[in-house]
Amino acid sequence: MSGDEASSYNNPNEVWLHGKGAWLAYILLLVVLRLAFASVPFLSVPVSFTLTNVVHNMLSFYLFHLMRGTPFVSADQGESARLTQWEQIDAGAQFTNTRKFLAAIPIVLFLLTSHYTEYDPVLFAINFVSLCIVMVAKLPQMHKVRLFWFFGRKFVDHEK
Amino acid sequence: MNNSISHLCFFQSLPLIILKLDATQTHRVYYCCCIIVLTLHFPPPLRLTQRMSAADADMVAQLSLLEIANLLLAKLLSYVPSLPSHGPIFELLHHAFYEAPAYHLILEGLLVLSILWLVVRKSDKSKDKGPKLTAKEVEEIIAEWQPEPLVPVSGPEPVVVPVVQGPAAAFVQIDGQKKINLASFNFLNFVGNKKVEDAAVTSLKKYGVGSCGPRGFYGTIDVHLELESKLAKFTQTEEAVLYSYAFSTVASVIPAYSKRGDILFVDEAISFPLAQGVLASRSTVKYFKHNDMADLERLLIEQQREDAKLAKKAKLSRRFVVVEGLYANTAEIAPLKRLVELKWQYKVRIMLDETFSFGVLGDHGRGITEHFGISPEDIDIMTSSLEHAVGSIGGFSYGKTFVMDHQRLSSQGYCFSASLPPLLASAALCALEAMEKSPDMFTTLRSRSKAIHAKLSTALGRHLVVSGDASAPMKFLTVKQTKGRAADEALLDLIVSKANDKNVVLTRARYIEDYERVQRPPAIRIALNIGHSEGEVENAIRDIAAAADEAAKAHSS
Repeated sequence: MSGDEASSYNNPNEVWLHGKGAWLAYILLLVVLRLAFASVPFLSVPVSFTLTNVVHNMLSFYLFHLMRGTPFVSADQGESARLTQWEQIDAGAQFTNTRKFLAAIPIVLFLLTSHYTEYDPVLFAINFVSLCIVMVAKLPQMHKVRLFWFFGRKFVDHEK
Repeated sequence: MNNSISHLCFFQSLPLIILKLDATQTHRVYYCCCIIVLTLHFPPPLRLTQRMSAADADMVAQLSLLEIANLLLAKLLSYVPSLPSHGPIFELLHHAFYEAPAYHLILEGLLVLSILWLVVRKSDKSKDKGPKLTAKEVEEIIAEWQPEPLVPVSGPEPVVVPVVQGPAAAFVQIDGQKKINLASFNFLNFVGNKKVEDAAVTSLKKYGVGSCGPRGFYGTIDVHLELESKLAKFTQTEEAVLYSYAFSTVASVIPAYSKRGDILFVDEAISFPLAQGVLASRSTVKYFKHNDMADLERLLIEQQREDAKLAKKAKLSRRFVVVEGLYANTAEIAPLKRLVELKWQYKVRIMLDETFSFGVLGDHGRGITEHFGISPEDIDIMTSSLEHAVGSIGGFSYGKTFVMDHQRLSSQGYCFSASLPPLLASAALCALEAMEKSPDMFTTLRSRSKAIHAKLSTALGRHLVVSGDASAPMKFLTVKQTKGRAADEALLDLIVSKANDKNVVLTRARYIEDYERVQRPPAIRIALNIGHSEGEVENAIRDIAAAADEAAKAHSS
């Protein structure tokens, strides 16, 4: 799937994200998360849906945008060790299918959530803020940008 | 019957139930249980019949697949008319258009648009692909294509070198004439040495020509191990690692230790192999002026300040100072004492290339460490060559075992090259034994170098300048009154050819100019050899001076 990429090697840390199976698994995990919250008896529908949305966004923000490095050895002399998972996708190319899919998921989830929360302003605010955080992090303008000190040391691009 | 069919429908419509997420809490728990039951009792229609009454089961069993599908469809469709009053989709739409606040509707509209935009937007990647071409268009483009010549049509004249018959020893045969060789790096006269030759021939008869594999893959032969331990003993270090080619030694040792993100402090005048190693390491490179320790210290202080800002990053990166013992490009000796002081003060490691200093400097030929009386333990990584003073082929790296051992799995030149042909290892062993036995050859070489330096300066003073350290066995002769690069090169070439006529073989120092960081001035490079007697060298100097006079006259007219 990534044979037409500009890079001459596959980054084992991100190639699995291209698979349609991975996308399906993502959606199924989301459904499982939703059902897990739905099965807690004392949670109302709006609260359980909000929890689903916020937990999903927090997890994806941590895994895609905060955590850096490579569990598997990549063939780039450690270049991707300083990149987040999101930055490693498709060797940094923007608006690829994988990126589009991963960006569409939180939006759709937010739309569903806002209906099932019955437009409660407090829940809306929580959901919207969590959506904004993950969507801003996915913007091409934020590629290799490190915002706050607690997100780690400054990014120094050796390529330039 | 009705009951069982509705059960059937219930299980078949599980996907619908999962979507119907706004059920009451008890329902939700029930749905979850249903999913588990479904997965445990697959396939459901068969299992269900067992739990039905006998009559119902019979009836279901008699139904064809098509009939079951029809029943299911009918059940599903029965939900549709209920939508306007109390179905979930109706509620959703009703909410959206009548109860949701306006800002919500606008936001949702924007979000839906953003999804559509995402779907429609082309990937940045697809821009590179270009338009799709038909087979005919492809053929047209191929037919139109005119290949560029492999070599430039015009360019510098090819270098014409004299053809030597026999070994390139102290004296060479060119066109049947015996000429004195001042062009080859054969300081200790081991090239053409009968004893070394015999050792190589004996080894050739025993082992054959090649070693048939890299060191780690059936390519290690006893003479390799013998030579490694001999080199370690000779250099007074713990371990030596043998390479099959001097160029690839230093060019692969540097990238074996210094990686992307590490920092190299590099002397501007380093020779081509070192420059290639520095390039291959992908490290951050900081150049200091040739042999200028004040400039190096300035860079180190600068680095210290940067490190204070990014302490976490600084901890992770390695730093090396890359220097040569005796510079191939300038014949200058590195100020090693000051370098070692700086090393301890600023916590950097030293990579020292002893290609030209090994077998030349020091009372026992151990190189620049012996020359300055510094323990080899103070230098972290050293590399050297068997191709210069030792007169064989190959290179080696030496130092502490725990540092050197890393190369045996991580150095490209060591791991992926066939090992040194055993006959060359034997030749090097023989030469090393001779070096051990008679260390007076090093003092001879040095005193000869100093004497010749003074003699060259006086004899050639009118036209040429002698540069380099006086005790270095190679001398650079540059033009005194330069008239531009091309004119100087022409003059020097003329001197070389006139000297050749007088039976003195010289060569110009040649560089791949596009790859040099600092352009070296055009120069004739003289390499001394202890195989020449003092009288022979004096005659040669006289001949060079005469050639220079003639050439200068011809050049100016």
